[in-house]
Amino acid sequence: MAADAEPALDIRGLTVAYHDEPVLWDIDLTVPRSTILGIVGPNGAGKTTLLKAVLDLVPIASGRVRVLGDAYAANQNRVGYVPQRGSVDWDFPTNALDVVLMGLYGELGWFRRPGAAEKEKARNALDQVGMLDYADRQISQLSGGQQQRVFLARALVQEADLYLMDEPLQGVDATTERTIIDLLRRLRNQGRTLLVVHHDLSTVREYFDQVLLLNVRAVASGSVETAFTDANVRETYAGGMPA
Amino acid sequence: MDLLHALFSDYTLRTVALGAALLGIVGGSLGSYAVLRGQSLIGDAVAHAALPGIAGAFLLTGQMDPLVLMLGAAATGLCAALFVDGTARSTRVPYDSALALMLASFFGLGLVLLTYLQRHAGASQAGLDAFLFGQAAALVMYDVYVMAALGGTALIVMLLFWKELKLLSFDAAFARSVGLPVRVLNGLLTTLLVVAIVIGLQTVGVVLMSAVLIAPAAAARQWTDRLGIMVALAAGIGAATGVTGALISASVRNVPTGPTIVLCMGAVVIASLLLAPQRGVLWRSWQRRFSQAETPSHPPDQNARTPNVATDPTDL
Repeated sequence: MAADAEPALDIRGLTVAYHDEPVLWDIDLTVPRSTILGIVGPNGAGKTTLLKAVLDLVPIASGRVRVLGDAYAANQNRVGYVPQRGSVDWDFPTNALDVVLMGLYGELGWFRRPGAAEKEKARNALDQVGMLDYADRQISQLSGGQQQRVFLARALVQEADLYLMDEPLQGVDATTERTIIDLLRRLRNQGRTLLVVHHDLSTVREYFDQVLLLNVRAVASGSVETAFTDANVRETYAGGMPA
Repeated sequence: MDLLHALFSDYTLRTVALGAALLGIVGGSLGSYAVLRGQSLIGDAVAHAALPGIAGAFLLTGQMDPLVLMLGAAATGLCAALFVDGTARSTRVPYDSALALMLASFFGLGLVLLTYLQRHAGASQAGLDAFLFGQAAALVMYDVYVMAALGGTALIVMLLFWKELKLLSFDAAFARSVGLPVRVLNGLLTTLLVVAIVIGLQTVGVVLMSAVLIAPAAAARQWTDRLGIMVALAAGIGAATGVTGALISASVRNVPTGPTIVLCMGAVVIASLLLAPQRGVLWRSWQRRFSQAETPSHPPDQNARTPNVATDPTDL
């Protein structure tokens, strides 16, 4: 149980650069277990890059990332990822169930195809996000909110302890937003930790336990009450408030 | 009927048709991945970059064995693909510029080598210039065996790594996050594409070869929403148009095989773009007219028959 006492995510002095230009600068962040942390900041603040740096998808210039008390590589199968909806081509010839099954490709291993047990898991995940009726639907025929929920279901089947979600509420209607937030809270109450990139400042207080205000540097982080102050928000969005 | 009879009795025609069918099957299946990943033109770069490899292999060995020439073609083709990737990743040159740059450079080198060989080593007798536009009539059964062995291996590997290649093509970042070695899989897919290209060069030539990868896959995509069916359909379209092209060029005097195959594939693409249900241009315009005619008699919220369908104007 000693390992469980470790924070879900511990980042020290993280710097990431593209072509010698810093995208993230000297980030420190500690996220305890059973927490929903919102990441807010203007466009180009490095929110997506931060998630990708944790996932080892972009090279780190300096700093250290510890995931669930160990290096990411050691705990890779305990980390779930929900990429931005716009990062894939939704005209890809496949259906919703098949996309959810992709969440199990890692643990399936080479040469094994998903069987009845995996399909049952995937259907169950689709059910949890209210998308079971759309299992056989071609993914381009789903609305933005439905595509978002398929991505969430794909992360659910991973049964991860740490989830990194890139704008899971982007472009969804109010009802879907409710469904998703309820789901995130359920996951948190099961002891999981969620990092959620978010763009709507008006809902930060309501949705998140903790917040990271990011603009290349970590302007502030911690509980919503202490970190999400007007002064910190102004500093994060210096040069123009978001619409 | 004579033509069909000849297909089974005439050695040359049978060989050419078999070769064309093989390159259509392999090119169509593997080309599906290139098309879905939006990397159709990598095939063009690899095919053009194969020319210096062919010339170089002949220069080094003096042999015309298809296996030797294909090995040379694969070597420089793979090099070009790696250079494109490396340039796009580590410099500020965009992907499409890197592609154009490598295509022109390698093809230029190929033409220089070819000219040199023609002056000095009698490559025109050897028939190396046939690799520019292909010379299907020169195919012998040994060539077809080599094509079948290489292409068959590529297809088996594709089937073995089916789910990995599917996830790689749909969402590479997620693939890495579930622990798939994306770099290795990228290399594998590129290698398979290179195999699909080099086995078709003798028949279709370096200039037109990319069409064999793109056209059957683009046509197949129009008819289905399942990856498995799309790949199978692309293979079928590739085989059918390959054989049709071979038959047409055999029955009409002075019509080259490779370009005819490519034209047949183009015709299937056009027909698919126009006629396919759901995605075809004619189908969609007919559907629009139908729904417009229906509009006034229904309240707007009941008009949409599938209320949750996302309408994407860029979706063809």
